[in-house]
Amino acid sequence: MEAVLSYIIFLPLLSALSLGLFRVELRFVRIGAMLSSLLVFILVLLVAADFDPDGGMQFIRVLPWIEHYGITYKLGLDGISLVLLLLIAFLMPLLYLYMWTEERNGYWYNMMLLQTGVTGAVLSLDLLLFYLFWETMLLPIFIMIGRYGSGMRQFNAMKIVLMTVLGSMSMFFSILYLGYEFFAVNGWWSFALSDLSTLQLDPRTSIWLAGGFLLAFAIKIPLVGFHTWMAPAYGSAPTPAVVIMSAIMAKLGIYGLWRFGYGLFESTLSYYAPVIMTLAIIGLLYYAIHAIMEPNLRRMFAYSSGSHLSMIALGVFLTNIYAWGGSLYFIATHALSSAGIFLMIGLLYKRTRTDNIEDLGGIASYAPRFTFFFVFFALSIAGLPGTGGFVAELLIIIGAFKEEFWIGVLTATTMLSAMLYIFWMLQRTVFGPDTVATEYFEDLNGREMMMLIPIVALLLITGIVPSFFIPLFEPQIAAMLTDLLQSIGGL
Amino acid sequence: MSTLLIWIVLIPFLSAALMGLVYLTGLRSNHLFYTITGILAPLLSGLFSLFIGWELLGSSADVVLHVEAFQWIALGDFDIAVAFMADRLTAVMLFFITFIGTLIHIYAAGYMSDDEAYGKFFSFFNLFMGSMLLLVLADNPIIMFVGWELVGLSSYLLIGFYHQDAKNIKAANKAFMLNRVGDFGFIIALSVLFIALEGDAFTFESIKANIGFLDNSLIALVGMLLFVGAMGKSAQIPLYVWLPDAMAGPTPVSALIHAATMVTAGVYMVARFSFLYNEVPEVGEFIALIGAFSALFAALIASYQSDIKKILAYSTMSQLGYMFIAVGLGAYSSGIFHVFTHAFFKALLFMGAGAVIVALHHEQNIFKMGGLRKHLGLVYVTMFIATLAISGIPPFSGFFSKDAILAAAFASGNYGIWMMATLTAMLTAYYMFRMLFIVFFANGHEYSNIPVLSRMMTWPLVVLAVGSAFAGLLGVNEAYGGSNGFASFIALPDRSHQLSHLAEYMLGFLNVLMALIGTGLAYKMFAVSAKEPIGDTFWKSLVMHKFYIDELYDRLIVRTLRMLSVMSDKVIDNKGVDGILHLFVSGYKTAGLLFTRLQNGKVRYYALYILAGIAVMSLLMLDTMEAM
Repeated sequence: MEAVLSYIIFLPLLSALSLGLFRVELRFVRIGAMLSSLLVFILVLLVAADFDPDGGMQFIRVLPWIEHYGITYKLGLDGISLVLLLLIAFLMPLLYLYMWTEERNGYWYNMMLLQTGVTGAVLSLDLLLFYLFWETMLLPIFIMIGRYGSGMRQFNAMKIVLMTVLGSMSMFFSILYLGYEFFAVNGWWSFALSDLSTLQLDPRTSIWLAGGFLLAFAIKIPLVGFHTWMAPAYGSAPTPAVVIMSAIMAKLGIYGLWRFGYGLFESTLSYYAPVIMTLAIIGLLYYAIHAIMEPNLRRMFAYSSGSHLSMIALGVFLTNIYAWGGSLYFIATHALSSAGIFLMIGLLYKRTRTDNIEDLGGIASYAPRFTFFFVFFALSIAGLPGTGGFVAELLIIIGAFKEEFWIGVLTATTMLSAMLYIFWMLQRTVFGPDTVATEYFEDLNGREMMMLIPIVALLLITGIVPSFFIPLFEPQIAAMLTDLLQSIGGL
Repeated sequence: MSTLLIWIVLIPFLSAALMGLVYLTGLRSNHLFYTITGILAPLLSGLFSLFIGWELLGSSADVVLHVEAFQWIALGDFDIAVAFMADRLTAVMLFFITFIGTLIHIYAAGYMSDDEAYGKFFSFFNLFMGSMLLLVLADNPIIMFVGWELVGLSSYLLIGFYHQDAKNIKAANKAFMLNRVGDFGFIIALSVLFIALEGDAFTFESIKANIGFLDNSLIALVGMLLFVGAMGKSAQIPLYVWLPDAMAGPTPVSALIHAATMVTAGVYMVARFSFLYNEVPEVGEFIALIGAFSALFAALIASYQSDIKKILAYSTMSQLGYMFIAVGLGAYSSGIFHVFTHAFFKALLFMGAGAVIVALHHEQNIFKMGGLRKHLGLVYVTMFIATLAISGIPPFSGFFSKDAILAAAFASGNYGIWMMATLTAMLTAYYMFRMLFIVFFANGHEYSNIPVLSRMMTWPLVVLAVGSAFAGLLGVNEAYGGSNGFASFIALPDRSHQLSHLAEYMLGFLNVLMALIGTGLAYKMFAVSAKEPIGDTFWKSLVMHKFYIDELYDRLIVRTLRMLSVMSDKVIDNKGVDGILHLFVSGYKTAGLLFTRLQNGKVRYYALYILAGIAVMSLLMLDTMEAM
């Protein structure tokens, strides 16, 4: 049991390697991928069942790696990473179900590598190990866009990689500096989060180093001003890659803020709070307004994703339990909604060979099931009550009001922002008269329903009984908040 | 007993989910299944509501039933349960929602019988019932807000029910968005209230108990913001423009949602928060003023409309204005009484209009009707009763409820509001009788094959006609020899102002006189022959174009947003952010070119670099040595 997190991380990679090594046929590749993802899902459920919400960091596993520099292979799980872990494990089998008819082998291998990358990033407690996984997940995305994408795929692949690497480099520099500083103070090397967080840095250095991390996360999320890779990448990437980018990778930027931002720098982060909160509030509205006239569905929901991630980032910088709880909850529920909507857009593209809004319309007349799922996911993005997103937004709004009345009012505009583009989009996409592309639109088949129903079910469950999930992570964030407020108070 | 409350809400939701599933799995042709499942839900909820009402009738006025279904969110002090409560106000709401809901379900089974999406209709219809009951029964404002949002959603789905026509979807979008603008106010109000009371439980009861500890300015802010929510849901100025367009939905939807129930949610909410509004009467006066303006404004527009459903829609807005006058001035029980009577006659008017529309093969322009009383006798009689009721002719129900509101406006000394309301009373009689005369009298058209309406459509009309005629008798006040039974049953904390009986008689007489003037005018102008109005003068055309408010909103908001959207793409992103990035890129390129020039393969250049390097290093070494 103690190696379970390693299995969870590396099972997909090992499956990919062994399947690739023997150059097996496609049908075995997809069965292999599916089985490995299901196995991972079961393991994650077992871990979750064994998880103690009050136990802080657990399932810790430390192995020496590069001993000379004190770099270790250190994994662990707490309430925050559990949310992300559950999410990844839940979504992967569904993505494979979506890809089932995909005939290019490379597609499958890349997805397996991607799963290892994102899972590893969530579970790493050593900064260099984290950095390794953080970069690992970029590689498959680069290939997925550059090789299997559409439109100006190579340019767009290059754009996302260059912009992301710019952030990664600044983070890498901060990591190395922290490690060196630790060596200078203690006389021995370590890159473990738990060690580096004990460092007492002078405020100036601390601000610079925190900035290095923040740049990486700001690009990943992306905050306004760091975002121009987003729409081209979402527009060009194949659907499974889009789902991973929006549902998981963007969320890792938020996760990073918590784990490493607050973990390493605690009160220094509040130095950046005004800037980031401003960017986040601007992003919340700016992306939403941008989305209104966007003619392409995937790009529209890229902006939509940016808008909601800005709101989540805002919540992370509002240091109270409501905002933090809401943000963490929003990570999960927004991932489900955006996975759902991007899968629907993928299915739409498969049928009509287009995802430009002006070519669409009237699908509701032919395909009631497709329409139901499409409208459901779209409305869940607009914060439909009864879905988890409503709960999350409500909590963040309340957290914002606890901070400051005007921040609260600006945050509450999320009630209005999503509807600006969602409803007009629905009108032109699924309702109204049909078009050449949507004539005789084929309704969903059994496999497609099988992939969508779990997402709908989970969105409803998270919306109707949030009290089932919140206790999983509440003690963790409550404890972190207490620490944080003490450290701010201690200054 | 209290667990019944859970079932009242749950049954319609279950029925909606069941019908939705069956519909989506493709078993679409079985109308009987949908009819039974569809009608059974409001019927059962209605029966349970009667039990609840009976229980509350038998106990003292301050008895409140509570039940907690399950804990919903618990994070820090934010501990919200899915819990329900029923006091006498709830009981009244429950009664008419389920009663009229059941009748309209039956009517809809006839009205929609040819629609291929029959099952979808009933699924949405019961989704609405469940949401509305959730709103009414909620034990805390957060759950009320959930119901509040869900009724907005079901309204969206039902307005856009005929989705092939983009116009209908537009109407649905408009409705949802304007409602959301209201909800934006609502959620701010709730958050502010929660933060102010943090640490205490957040239920209506506990808020009521702690309201005294709050600052008056904070209460006023909350009261105003809550009312913004009500403006959206109950179609008051300036958020009303969605209601006339909402008539794009099937007529049973207009009758149930956009006349009898959902749009009255705002009034209910103000009455539910009466303890809060009693702390800040000046906010109440603002509400009453908005109500009076809305009432008059909508009545004016209604007088010039030609679409039968739009006339009724503006009429609804106008009547809602009356209700807000009442609750704003603290006459909560009169406001709710008008909600109650209005539900009967307005549902009836819509259902009658629906019957006319069906009979004339989807003609909605009243000027293409005329003389229909010979062909649609029953519809004519029932609609006549409803028209008498809404016009405030005694002893029909509207007289008593409207009279109480006007008396409250007069007694509280808000004479401006009172005058506007009295003028509206005249206009109400005018536009309603105008519609009645044009449709059923006037010069007849030739009609070909008017179909026989099914009994499912006609019997509910009769039941509602009885209600429209007599529901007012529940609340006859002392001046007219009654005992004000409704107000004393509902037991809301009214800010009462006493009027002498003489003053009440005079006011009542004035109201009836106004109604008769309106009726007379309508008779003179339209009973014999009717011509469609033309906007030949400035004022006429202004009213006919609904004061160009839609166009104004379009210019001001919709187009601005679209322009901003294009600008954010073309200017800010492409020129701004990417412009900076491209500066980096081109800088990188220039630097690259520069370095290629340096590394040109010529040995004498390299010798120069070496020389320069040695020079710099020597200088540095000199520097260090001097320092030592």
